[in-house]
Amino acid sequence: MFLAIKEMRRARLRFGMLIGAISLLVFLIFFQQSIQNGLITSFIGAIRNQNSPVLVYSTDGQRVLQGSVITPDREALVRGADGVGEVGRIGQGTFTGLPDTPGPDATAGETFDTTLIGYEAGPDGTGLGAPSTLSQGRLPRSDFEAVASAVDERLGFGVGAVIRLLPGDVEITVVGLARDIQLNVTPTLFTTYDTYRTAVRAVNPDAGEPLPNVLAVDPAPGWTADAVVETINGRSPDLDALTRTDAATETPGVAQVQQSFAIVFLLYGLVVPLVTGLFFLIVTFQKAESLTLLRAIGAPARRLVSSLLVQVVVIVCAGIAIGTALYLPVSQQNLGGIALRFEARAVVVWTVLLLVLGVISSLIAVRRVLRIDPILATTGAGVGS
Amino acid sequence: MRLALRELVRRPGRFVTASVVLTLIALLLMFLGGLLDGLIRSQTGALRAQDAQAIVYSDTAQASFVRSRIEPGLRAEVEAVEGVREVGGLGLVQLGARVPGRGPRDLADVALFGYELAPDGVPPVPGPGEAYADEVLKADGIELGMTIELGPARSPVRIVGFVSDTSFNGQGGVWAAPATWRDVLSANRPDARLGDGVFQALVVIGDEHVADAIDTATAGRTDSYTIDDAVEAIPGVTEQRATFNQIIGVTLGVAVVVIALFFALITVERLALYGVLKALGARSATIFAGLVAQAVSVTAAAALIAASAAVALDAAIPPGSVPLDVTVSRVVTSIVLLLLAAVAGCAFSLRRVLRVDPASAIGTNS
Repeated sequence: MFLAIKEMRRARLRFGMLIGAISLLVFLIFFQQSIQNGLITSFIGAIRNQNSPVLVYSTDGQRVLQGSVITPDREALVRGADGVGEVGRIGQGTFTGLPDTPGPDATAGETFDTTLIGYEAGPDGTGLGAPSTLSQGRLPRSDFEAVASAVDERLGFGVGAVIRLLPGDVEITVVGLARDIQLNVTPTLFTTYDTYRTAVRAVNPDAGEPLPNVLAVDPAPGWTADAVVETINGRSPDLDALTRTDAATETPGVAQVQQSFAIVFLLYGLVVPLVTGLFFLIVTFQKAESLTLLRAIGAPARRLVSSLLVQVVVIVCAGIAIGTALYLPVSQQNLGGIALRFEARAVVVWTVLLLVLGVISSLIAVRRVLRIDPILATTGAGVGS
Repeated sequence: MRLALRELVRRPGRFVTASVVLTLIALLLMFLGGLLDGLIRSQTGALRAQDAQAIVYSDTAQASFVRSRIEPGLRAEVEAVEGVREVGGLGLVQLGARVPGRGPRDLADVALFGYELAPDGVPPVPGPGEAYADEVLKADGIELGMTIELGPARSPVRIVGFVSDTSFNGQGGVWAAPATWRDVLSANRPDARLGDGVFQALVVIGDEHVADAIDTATAGRTDSYTIDDAVEAIPGVTEQRATFNQIIGVTLGVAVVVIALFFALITVERLALYGVLKALGARSATIFAGLVAQAVSVTAAAALIAASAAVALDAAIPPGSVPLDVTVSRVVTSIVLLLLAAVAGCAFSLRRVLRVDPASAIGTNS
């Protein structure tokens, strides 16, 4: 081990470059893990973090909230299905929002694409479809009140802010903030269903009566969400009932994002051990004569192998540590409306995985070391021969 | 340099592992670039296809079709602007389409456009109830002459031809007459219904800087963009491009470090040999050129293998899953960047090559 550390100190540039390469790769992996999770949360957080166990879309909506329209006949089918308890209407639209006071990351008069989700809030705001991650303030109790996505406080969507929807004069007061409730990576307001209807008519005078986009369903006592989904879907092929989790994960785009990143992670995951393995293989070749000499003067093979493995572990750990240090400040940022987060679980999983892969990749070099014949010291040949 | 290339040919095994690593990095670069291109292409085709100088939205629309309303009076003001030669209305509604022969829950995502001025590659406005479909919709089973049913109202639209690269927001473009679009919109989206003569946007053919002139003439009641700016204004496009380019940039940085590391190790291994070569009269420049030639050759081989793999991956991935679009320009750009990275990576070894003392060939340390 002493030799291993001493060698690394002597060849700082060589080992430093390997650590640099691993750091950059680790940083990229962690950074993209944050982007993936942040993107998905910003994309479908509003679905994942609302309180309705079952959401019913129209099949035409293709599991997109705004694309779905529940006509009165379909609503009647849902209400009449077995196992259906309470039913609430949810409407969703994207509007242009103007906060009365800009937040620290906004300029005066700056407008934002703003998602409005209207649900039948009830007297205390806890109706079906209410956000379930309230972090500040309270739920909307009357029309023209809303809970905003907490990450958008920086844009002027904090508690007490008044958001004007353009064009028109609909103004909504933010009375609470909730974590991870964005939809489509835009500032999101959960408000009453009537506020949503008013907003639709205000921005488009030609609009007819807005229909609900989805229905929120609470299973009757004794029924599970999965069972209710089955009974509703059995009523008509035009109805597409999903549990809350399925509604979030099966939103179009989510699977694409996950598949795309999976390929990217696979490639990065292969590059790290290959670079490590290649490095130690070449270094072992270069040290051939010294290693043979060490064996000839009595150094056991186990000690040489453990030195090699110590170097692998130190290098990979140092790379991961520096990569994590680079990632830490970046993970606190917002990236184009996507709130990044330090993904501790991903850091732990990748650390273990890369360490294991790193050690495995060095096994070829280990094999070379084990094959050293001390007698070759008398001929000048080494492991490379 | 000939010596270096001969070594590559005679002892390829020594460069295999480095080539594998570089192939993976090259594949990563091309895959990331292809993902970016695929995402942007599927989101922006309908706007890129517009053969015009400006797209005009209403002032508070934030370049969103669904939030924009251009009434006939405002359109007349736009038509009167100096430099405007032709104006066409444009409207959009995004719906699920029922395709004959497919299951009742197996719908195709379509973006139905009503247009007055034909975009590039799209024929003149078809008859009522007819439309041209983007060829990406063939993957959903849509065929020529087929009648598809749009939205919950099952509005029938007959496909009379196919066009290419006109997708919008990841949905295949379907191009119909304004009246067809208006009927479908009213029947399926009562909350988005628009009155007669009202469009969501205008496509303007005219002088180069007509977009600015329009917004000035309408006293800011319009928000006009050049086609390129309208493409960038689609939510997410700029952010996607910036994020992917950053990731591609850092991945390229990794390529530089890997190449530098590998050739630095090779240089260390050959210091004695370089000493001999210098003693025989070889110049440092010649030795370094050989190193660069090896790096460029290894990188070029890796990049070509990666390009083949990327193209194969593109062909193998089914439509509608990963939005990968591997283009010739992306592959060429990636290869050029990697070759530059190879040269830059070799530069790390230059110092060592310069420091080699020819005297080392006769037993003195280099």
